[in-house]
Amino acid sequence: MKTKILVANRGEIAIRLIRAIQELDYEAVAVYESPDKDSRHIRLANEAVWLGAGPRCDYLDIAKIIRAAKKSGAQAIHPGYGFLAENPDFAKACEDEGIIFIGPSSEVITNLGNKVIARQIMAEAGIPMVPGSDNLAAGEEGVATAIAFAAKYVYPIMLKATCGGGGRGIRLIETDEQMREEIPIARAEAKAAFNDERVYLEKVVIEPKHVEVQIMADKTGKTVHLGTRDCSIQRRNQKLIEIAPSMIGDKALLDTICETAVKAAKASNYFNAGTVEFLIDKDFNYYFMEINTRVQVEHTVTEMITGIDIVRTQIKLALGKDLAFSQEDVQMRGHAIEMRINAEDPQADFMPEGGKTVSVYRSPGGYGVRLDGFVYQGFTIPEVYDSLLVKMTVHGFSWNETVDRLRRCLQNFVIAGPKTTIPFYLNISKDDDFINGNFDTSYLDKHPHLFEYEDNANEASKLSNLIAEIHHRGHNPYAA
Amino acid sequence: MERIVQGQSPAEIVKQLQNSDGYHITNTARDLSQSDFKNRILLHTDLLAADARERAGYFSLEITGGASVHVDILRKQVDPFLKLELLREKMPTTMFQTLCRGVNLFGYRPYPQNVIRFTVKEFAKYVDVWRTFDFMNYIPNMQAVFEEVAKAGKLNEPCICFSTGPEHTDAYYLTKVKEILEVTGEDIVLCIKNHGGLGTPKRIGELVDTIRQKYPDLPLHYHGHNTDGNDVGRIVAAVQNGANIVDAADASFTGFYGPPPILTVIQTLKELGHNANTIDEDAVIETSEVIRDERQHYEAFESQIKGFQPTVQIHKLPGGAMGSSLEQAVKGGFLDKMPDILHKELPKVQKELGNYWSVTPGSQILWTTAVSNVQGGERYGNPSGDLRNLLLGKYGPFPFYEPDEWIFEKVLGADWKKVLEEEGGVEDIGDMDIDKEKEILTDRIGEDPTDQQLVLYLQHPNDAVEFFKFEAKFGRVYVLPPSIFLKQGSFEPGETLEFVDHTGKEHMVEVGPSNVAEDGETSVYLYVDHHQRVYKFAAELPDGAAAPAAEMSKEEILDLAKAGDIRASFSGNVCEVSVEEGQEVAVGDKVAVMEAMKMQTPITSEIDGIVTAISAKVGDAVQPGDKLLRVDVDE
Repeated sequence: MKTKILVANRGEIAIRLIRAIQELDYEAVAVYESPDKDSRHIRLANEAVWLGAGPRCDYLDIAKIIRAAKKSGAQAIHPGYGFLAENPDFAKACEDEGIIFIGPSSEVITNLGNKVIARQIMAEAGIPMVPGSDNLAAGEEGVATAIAFAAKYVYPIMLKATCGGGGRGIRLIETDEQMREEIPIARAEAKAAFNDERVYLEKVVIEPKHVEVQIMADKTGKTVHLGTRDCSIQRRNQKLIEIAPSMIGDKALLDTICETAVKAAKASNYFNAGTVEFLIDKDFNYYFMEINTRVQVEHTVTEMITGIDIVRTQIKLALGKDLAFSQEDVQMRGHAIEMRINAEDPQADFMPEGGKTVSVYRSPGGYGVRLDGFVYQGFTIPEVYDSLLVKMTVHGFSWNETVDRLRRCLQNFVIAGPKTTIPFYLNISKDDDFINGNFDTSYLDKHPHLFEYEDNANEASKLSNLIAEIHHRGHNPYAA
Repeated sequence: MERIVQGQSPAEIVKQLQNSDGYHITNTARDLSQSDFKNRILLHTDLLAADARERAGYFSLEITGGASVHVDILRKQVDPFLKLELLREKMPTTMFQTLCRGVNLFGYRPYPQNVIRFTVKEFAKYVDVWRTFDFMNYIPNMQAVFEEVAKAGKLNEPCICFSTGPEHTDAYYLTKVKEILEVTGEDIVLCIKNHGGLGTPKRIGELVDTIRQKYPDLPLHYHGHNTDGNDVGRIVAAVQNGANIVDAADASFTGFYGPPPILTVIQTLKELGHNANTIDEDAVIETSEVIRDERQHYEAFESQIKGFQPTVQIHKLPGGAMGSSLEQAVKGGFLDKMPDILHKELPKVQKELGNYWSVTPGSQILWTTAVSNVQGGERYGNPSGDLRNLLLGKYGPFPFYEPDEWIFEKVLGADWKKVLEEEGGVEDIGDMDIDKEKEILTDRIGEDPTDQQLVLYLQHPNDAVEFFKFEAKFGRVYVLPPSIFLKQGSFEPGETLEFVDHTGKEHMVEVGPSNVAEDGETSVYLYVDHHQRVYKFAAELPDGAAAPAAEMSKEEILDLAKAGDIRASFSGNVCEVSVEEGQEVAVGDKVAVMEAMKMQTPITSEIDGIVTAISAKVGDAVQPGDKLLRVDVDE
């Protein structure tokens, strides 16, 4: 009987996983909630299991997913990113049920998911970190600790949920008064979002670059890195554009960061694929931020420049294989840029465009282009999930070539129906600072002109609307 | 000689004209479009012609103004400013010319001074030559335009409107030239505006000669129409007697009422020893070749009756109004009465109303009055609001003589003398609160308007808003060729349509099947850039179902009005609601204004009472018998 792997996710990442599973000649089992019933991952999988009416709650229901795996006879589960991917209880449930969880052990997820424990591990291993506090005690005591911390490190200070991640559960505090007000709110929010009310503080690094390192580790402890990614271009701490490798010119610094990442992974007994995130300040000091214990949205850029299939490697490692390559085998070639094409209106503060139907979908092709998407013409975007439609990754030998390709592909990408981030990205692809590699996390705030564009993605369909009317009426009523 | 190019100062242009031996040509593309194609020639065609027209070396290209600003937004769905901007990109040197109706701008009635100045200022950014006229030849009506044009550093080309008849003597026109020069100074070109194509070559030759003798250095521009087929004759006479510039158009689009072909003018005058300055004949010929194939797509907008109209010497309708008048006759079902209207009633009305110049908006007043006199039974029995304003002197004083008293009595009522005394005279229109209008527009389109949008809105409030909405829905449609935009009948199944959008992207649309659902909704399938799209159209009510059950007679409507139920008495648009609910009104008070055939007519209350309901709003298209508002007797 063929190996079966259940894909506990939806959208583009589900399809990415299904493709890797099927390339290994295994069978993929999809799961879905009702709002996703027309989603393409269901059709591409070898079989699909309906979880429930959703939304979101069934994708997050550990028991239902374990049951689906058992019922379909899947030996392993790949969680993708988001949903249950970094939930240690889910990894634990798999371990208990004898199902292979494609990712690190529940213990590692627990330790690294708890930002405070993670910081302890890294401190012991001598990894440089942004100064931070322990978990704040409840009530007045915690507030007092917080105000003392702020006095020492100077505002602004980040107030973070201990179990938060992916940019969520973070707030920027500028005054003592605000600190007093926000701590209880942050606790309540953390409780609601992560079922854990603990919060802690971190000094803010002003306008940093966000650089991360992809690592892979097998069960023997062999750990290699696949180089850096720059994810500085973000809005509200959510990444929009990712680039590999980092554009920092100091190669020795990048090598040091990569070595530090491997050290951090080893210190936490890391297994499988993970990402070590760093902040780099204006003086090129680097600080450990966190380790993400899952495949990242932006793993594609690393795949493009290394030629290594990260998801395929993840599966092989989880099924017991050792790493087939060593650090010397990992060679970087060229540059890759990934843009997350979201159904959002950048001109309306990235308001999601869910509920709309994709009436035209024309994607670019040709040399050096990779698309990881899941929507198709006629697909109605469910309102209840995230707004990512497709990731467009371009690869080029030089940075200039890569940016040229990016621009060409964005110009050729037509999505009508929902508004998308394409025209906004097209502006970025023509922006001098972007072209020259000058960007940090303040990039969008400092380049407001990027939001000035005419939304002409729909121009052909608008004009066709008139053609349809002329055809229907037998004359043009607007010219009569 | 050196070519005259855009950017030169009026003084430089005038000097160059004074020093040149030959004559210059203005390509009157706008007037051609207005006279022979109901103003429908699309920017798409003008852009095709742009390169060759640029090389042809004209004095100017008349490409905007007249009725075209309105038709651009109303029927061509193109922004008149964007049109000039795109043409300028392709024609960097040629001067662009407009036709401005003085105080009436590009519309049909006087605008407030600050609106005039704002409009001229915005258009002067693109327009180099300002041909300005007033249909009463009343010079003060052009003053504000003259001043703003001069302020913008652009060339004023004031007109004397020309007509025929015993009063239209050389001596009279000389006084008008003098009056113009007194306000404009010498750095102008004077236009003899023969909008009807009236008079013989001999008459035009004499007039040009008289002005030339009196003002040897004044550059003269002869503008005519070929309605009777003889404008080349008049042009020849004008040039022989000293005109510096003449108007003509691209041969492949010339027809009946517009200007004659450029090449014919050049060839005729060459034999007589007059050379067309800076003209590249090959480029003139090439222009006609480039656009020749496009003409077939404009056929539906050509004149309903074919052939020249030498009887224009009798009815005097201007070339620019011929097409639209015939169109109204067809739509109104009175094409058979045209000989009566044109050859009997119109000349009669013309004489009765003072023999002024039949050109916008005066020509519309003559025309609607003549139609109403023939159609309505009783002559002057159903006067338009604009005829009333004419008699009140709102447009300016009558140039030669006043109409007979019985006409005043018919139009203004029995106490016409009192009305005239109280309301008569040129209206001093106060400045408009433009900032407030801007707020209203912002509200209506949901975003801050540009100055250009505001200018269009101040000209034609409802039509401008409709146009902005149209563009939001259908995009920049000027990219569509006339074969698509003016298509008559449906496309063939499987037909492939190609166009390039305004950003330069090429698109292909293949026409797919249409399906009618049980509820009558039609789904039109198109393959847009190889992707299927479906456009749905709700079922249309069968003919007549949407119309009122039975059209009411004029008597019924009047009876209802006397009971306070005020209804539309003719089909048109509501352009003003003058009262509010709860307002007291007396017999004869204006409660609303309706517009039809460009003429406004006030609607008055038949009783004393209080306005209790308003059913119509500004911009509504109403049919006879449709409710406007209700007045109840106050008890």
